[in-house]
Amino acid sequence: EKWDMPMAYAATNFHSEVGAAFASCVTEGTGGELEIVTHPSGSLFGGAEIKRAVMTGQAMIGERLMSAHQNENPLYGVDSIPFLVSSFDEHEELWSIAEPYVSDALAEDNLHYLYSVPWPPQGLYTNKPIEDISDLKGLKFRSYSTATAKMAELTGMLPVQVEAAELSQALATGVAESFISSGATGYDRKVWEQLSNFYEVDAWLPRNAVFVNADAWSDLSDESKSVMNDCASTAAADGLQRSKDYTDFTLEELEKNGMTVERANDTLMGQLKEMGEVMTNEWLEEAGEDGKAIVDAYKGE
Amino acid sequence: MKLLRRTLDTAYLIGGVIASFFLIAILVIIVLQMLARWTGQVFPGATDYAGYCMAAASFFAFAYALNHGAHIRVSILLTALGRHRKWGEIWCFGIGTAISTWFAWYAIRGNQISLRFNELSQGLDATPIWIPQLSMSIGTVLLAVAFWDHLIRLIVTGSHGITTDLVDQSQGE
Amino acid sequence: MEQLIPIGIFLFVLFLLLGSGVWVGLALMGVAYVGMELFTSRPAGDAMITKIWSSSSSWTLTALPLFIWMGEILYRTRLSEDMFRGLSPWMARLPGGLVHTNIVGCTVFAAVSGSSAATLTTVGKMSIPELRKRNYPETMVIGTLAGAATLGLMIPPSLTLIVYGVTINESITKLFMAGVFPGLVLAALFMGYVAVTSFVSKDFDPDPEPPMSFTEKLRNSRFLIPVICLILVVIGSMYMGWATATEAAAFGVIGSMLLAATQGSLTWGTFSESLMGAVRTSAMIALILAGASFLSLSMGFTGIPRGLADLIASWELSRFQLLMALLVFYVVLGCFLDGISSVVLTMAVVEPMIRAAGIDLIWFGIFIVVVVEMAQITPPIGFNLFVLQGMTGHEMNFIARAAIPMFLIMVVMVFVLIAFPDLATWLPDNIRKGPAS
Ligand code: NA
Ligand code: NA
Repeated sequence: EKWDMPMAYAATNFHSEVGAAFASCVTEGTGGELEIVTHPSGSLFGGAEIKRAVMTGQAMIGERLMSAHQNENPLYGVDSIPFLVSSFDEHEELWSIAEPYVSDALAEDNLHYLYSVPWPPQGLYTNKPIEDISDLKGLKFRSYSTATAKMAELTGMLPVQVEAAELSQALATGVAESFISSGATGYDRKVWEQLSNFYEVDAWLPRNAVFVNADAWSDLSDESKSVMNDCASTAAADGLQRSKDYTDFTLEELEKNGMTVERANDTLMGQLKEMGEVMTNEWLEEAGEDGKAIVDAYKGE
Repeated sequence: MKLLRRTLDTAYLIGGVIASFFLIAILVIIVLQMLARWTGQVFPGATDYAGYCMAAASFFAFAYALNHGAHIRVSILLTALGRHRKWGEIWCFGIGTAISTWFAWYAIRGNQISLRFNELSQGLDATPIWIPQLSMSIGTVLLAVAFWDHLIRLIVTGSHGITTDLVDQSQGE
Repeated sequence: MEQLIPIGIFLFVLFLLLGSGVWVGLALMGVAYVGMELFTSRPAGDAMITKIWSSSSSWTLTALPLFIWMGEILYRTRLSEDMFRGLSPWMARLPGGLVHTNIVGCTVFAAVSGSSAATLTTVGKMSIPELRKRNYPETMVIGTLAGAATLGLMIPPSLTLIVYGVTINESITKLFMAGVFPGLVLAALFMGYVAVTSFVSKDFDPDPEPPMSFTEKLRNSRFLIPVICLILVVIGSMYMGWATATEAAAFGVIGSMLLAATQGSLTWGTFSESLMGAVRTSAMIALILAGASFLSLSMGFTGIPRGLADLIASWELSRFQLLMALLVFYVVLGCFLDGISSVVLTMAVVEPMIRAAGIDLIWFGIFIVVVVEMAQITPPIGFNLFVLQGMTGHEMNFIARAAIPMFLIMVVMVFVLIAFPDLATWLPDNIRKGPAS
């Protein structure tokens, strides 16, 4: 049997490479009985369509940025609560608590959760040095989600809505002057052409999840399932390591190309954490009991 | 019979007029979004709404465009058929009817899937996707109806009744 | 390749449906359906709707109907007449005469719009009637328009370059800058062709423009002021940071309405006619885009584009051989797919080949754009051919034949790019900052 696996990001992105390795792991492990063919760059289904495609069996397996679907279920956005965690390790701690809840949520959407890999931590790009949260006031800030729009509101930045595809042009023409994203985005889009500072604030670490159509999953033989599970845990571990390595690499590259890359000072970090508190509470209001259970368990540890 | 004819033609035209409102809506939304940005406001979900209007402006106008001969095709062979052209047209309208009916059927089904899974837009607007998708269901059904209409007319009267819009074709003069 | 038989069936159905006169958008859907049934067990209809909905409701697409609307408004004002009154005294003396306005118009409008269809409709709506009035040979008018409109993809802003840049993670600003000189060179090649043909061809016998003194020519140039203002507003809105490339289209529509109003040609009648005209044209294009998006999904499932790219990779060619192989490959693919789909479907395999061969990826982006431009004018699936057919009522084979010289000029352009790579790489290497800073 052949499964097509739509993926949203470019073939050279580490997520896509981990996915490709997972696919060949399964193909080899099942002796070709189950062949997985990856389709990177949104060449089969684009990012926004992948979850629907897998839910309804238009593709049997796929990878998607989970938090993109948090309108449907706030639990999908548990990895994107601003300033709740502030490092890879803290994030993994949070995720180990949240994973079963998210897995259940996906099951309700006819999806079997396999594994997920975090993106590098989200930092703050600006066109000038920022010492204090008040320095942000009036800066044109790219807001593309509920959380980023809220951040603009809380900091007094001017929110400008810019789609990912238009980011480079928006920066070049001064439509946007700052945004939040990982070091990887800055490296990919070569933002040093326009912006000067990157602050490691580790705002959040969004995850890409790989899931299988639930009916297709239950039709698999036990051997195939166990091969898939083994390959999935290899991919998860490998992906985490590559995400960490890639973070170091991209930050070095930003610096090499003339950007100032530094951790935010304690004052700024404290102010951002305060803002994070407000936003965590807002998320909790939407996410109900499950959300509360996750955050309580995380804070209790 | 006459009443049916008038009703159908009016339905295609209304589709086109609705589409034109959505085209104006795209313009309005984009202007509002720019105004919002210049004044430091947010217009949450503007790009998504513009996208829905884009879809509605297309789907609602499919049948209207067909009725005015705006949809294009390669008609070398049809012209070459000469007085047997009718049979070529029946083949074309037959295939067109089949595909457009299939299209409409799955558009409705896709719309139902969005409703059943309660799919929400992934943008700031968080719109239930089945609502804007209604334009796709209605527009494709209208297109399928138009194809059936023309096919039946073609078989019964020998002429399909598509009038190529003179304004479109006379630009040369 | 054990896939030879399914590929054969696939091509047969494509030619059968398109050739027998089934509407293009629906024919593409039919072909895509056959492909899905042959190559995968996934539900064809459901997948089609997922794909068609997301492609039809896309934000970046909204610029297209707006630019078409702008073209419809301008066509109903005196603007096109005025533009020709202003340009003709200057252009008429050039060998090739007013045909050059097609090319110059497309080049200028390419700097406003990111798509070739919008460039084509806007310029074509204005120039075709004026050129026909003056008895220019139809093949020349149609051919140059089909070819020059593809500059919309090369001269920034460009949808193709955005997609390419995002796919391979290259700076879009740099890619945009890389397109400027090759775009101008290509325009110059088109104009050179027009000049030469005007001497060689017997058919080239337009009505002469009345002779005019220099001061008269200057006086007539005042008619160009409104057009120049409009273009400056649209381009300026982007480079001043007021609008994104998509939003600039709104400036275009409002600007042309204001222009029409000041000329007194904005009545309820022209307004509603322009609006309904735009609705029809964009519905026509939308149906084809819907079919094309489903076909591209189907091709993704068949694995044919990737299989071919894999095959080329296995030949281990030299740099020049590789580029030639890719040229042929993309020209063939371009006959059946729109340019953006062929980039997205193959880049995963082609990118490593290019990097391994040590080819500059910015330069290759421009190479790709030229090839994608060719795809716009090659039958059976060539977007500019479709749009021109809708606009002029000519048969597809007439338009495709008229466009052959333009296709050959683009092939020449590929060799120019290979011989003078600096054309593409000099500007991005030497200007580090974006247009506004
Ligand atoms: Na352009
Ligand atoms: Na083509």
